[in-house]
Amino acid sequence: MSAAVPIPVIQLLQVLTVALGAPGITGVIAKVEARLQGRRGPRVLQPYYDLAKLCRKEALAPERASWFFLAAPLIAVAAYLTIPLLIPVLTTYGLPLGYMGDILGGGFLLSLASFVVATAALETGSPYAQLGSSRAKTFSAITEPVVLFVVFTVALLTGTDLPYALAATVRSSAGQVVRPGHVLASAALFMVILHETGRIPVETHTGTNEFGMIEEARSFEHSGPYFALLKWGSELKQLILFTILADVFVVPWGLASTQRLGAVLLAIVALLAKAVAIGVVVAVIDNLFAKLRLFKITEYAAAAFLLAVLGVFTLYVGGA
Amino acid sequence: MSPPGVYEGTANVIAALMLLLEFGMLRQALIRDQVRLYAVQSALISVLAIVIAADRDLPDLYALAGLSAALKVVAVPLVLRRLLGVPASEDAPGVAGSYTLNPASAVLTCIGLAAFGFFCFGSFRISGAAAPATALAIAGAMVFVAFGLMIVRRDVASQAVGFFSLENAISLAALVVAAGLPLILETAFLFDLLVAVVVFGMLIRAHHARAESLSTADLTRLRG
Repeated sequence: MSAAVPIPVIQLLQVLTVALGAPGITGVIAKVEARLQGRRGPRVLQPYYDLAKLCRKEALAPERASWFFLAAPLIAVAAYLTIPLLIPVLTTYGLPLGYMGDILGGGFLLSLASFVVATAALETGSPYAQLGSSRAKTFSAITEPVVLFVVFTVALLTGTDLPYALAATVRSSAGQVVRPGHVLASAALFMVILHETGRIPVETHTGTNEFGMIEEARSFEHSGPYFALLKWGSELKQLILFTILADVFVVPWGLASTQRLGAVLLAIVALLAKAVAIGVVVAVIDNLFAKLRLFKITEYAAAAFLLAVLGVFTLYVGGA
Repeated sequence: MSPPGVYEGTANVIAALMLLLEFGMLRQALIRDQVRLYAVQSALISVLAIVIAADRDLPDLYALAGLSAALKVVAVPLVLRRLLGVPASEDAPGVAGSYTLNPASAVLTCIGLAAFGFFCFGSFRISGAAAPATALAIAGAMVFVAFGLMIVRRDVASQAVGFFSLENAISLAALVVAAGLPLILETAFLFDLLVAVVVFGMLIRAHHARAESLSTADLTRLRG
């Protein structure tokens, strides 16, 4: 019916889908959020226009900042664009570069990106940027154990820590979907994602209110194309986390199992649809709950940790 | 590791949800919400009874599910709310702030307790024809977390709710280990719960009348 797509092209398409789809997903979420609050909201394509506008602007750097300040956004985006090679974005079968790294490899890349952005923020000497990076690092240390336990769950379920293997295990039978270990780990990961994308519990992801700023504060001193890269980077991170949740943990269906063009195109549509669905859920949750005070983050992280730990327990004791 | 069947998976997920609700009760500041979580937890155990009844063809369990739903989802929460006079007691001193530890540490401590219970019960290796071993271990963890709840929170309301959810944990263990227990025995357990409700009701009333607070923190103070 349709022609086969060469493997390297599929590999490239994985990166392109994430790279080009990410601002759109952010746009859809912003629109849904505005509707929930009774506003008309920006256009869905607004994030693309924002990026285009920023790319045309002049770039300025603080006087004392070193070359690292300008290199950081590039390194961060490069790290984010490497992750789609490691996770199942479009296919059920592993692509050649998919085995360069496991879940931990992906996690290292995410932390690397976050680390360089935080370091660049420290370079500026601006108090807000420094506050943002110090908060981001502190809180990522708190959510780290949760992510580790989620990885342990994956390891106990599949015997490996390859994202492709977990997705295949989940697809294998209905019994796998209702395993408490799997359900609890997915829920814990979802809570971490809510935190990492700046939704719950304290951050207003669009706001400039310094009480709730974590990630947003770090890019205060960047401007022009560099700022565009940072914005694009955080949109990429959001779509990557959504992809991991959907294609590895919750709904790994709709991926292409062959190299046929139709199947690959369908997989692209399915991925974006799943990301939009998660985005809508996230926006609803974001609007249902009041923001908490900053030090309440530990309670939120403790709840996520509880889910992840119980997931490991249930797998360890009953193999359930 | 081969996956368990759908029935076992469902039973285990329900048990895990009950354990999570137990943690929810630990975290919840308002009595009203604690009682509501207790009702949800009781509803879950009725659902589990129905699942087991359907899977193992035990018609007795349908009757038990109905009875326990009527008693634990409707009657006990109603009595508790009446006893605590919920509208009046929302600003009762010492209930919202009755933690001896801060909430995050309380949750972490109870995770430790749950781990202890989990591995103790898990090491029994009780695996009947269709008894999900994980659900039993979770019931063990729930017993310990319920104890933790009663220790960490210093107000009579939390202690009553903790005690009643302890009964839920034991019912869960009984359901997964010995689902075929005669109906009369199960019903007798339920009536034990009624007695406990009456006793706790008297205690709460008496404590409130003497101390003019639901908190047990000032009981350690000497009074002349």
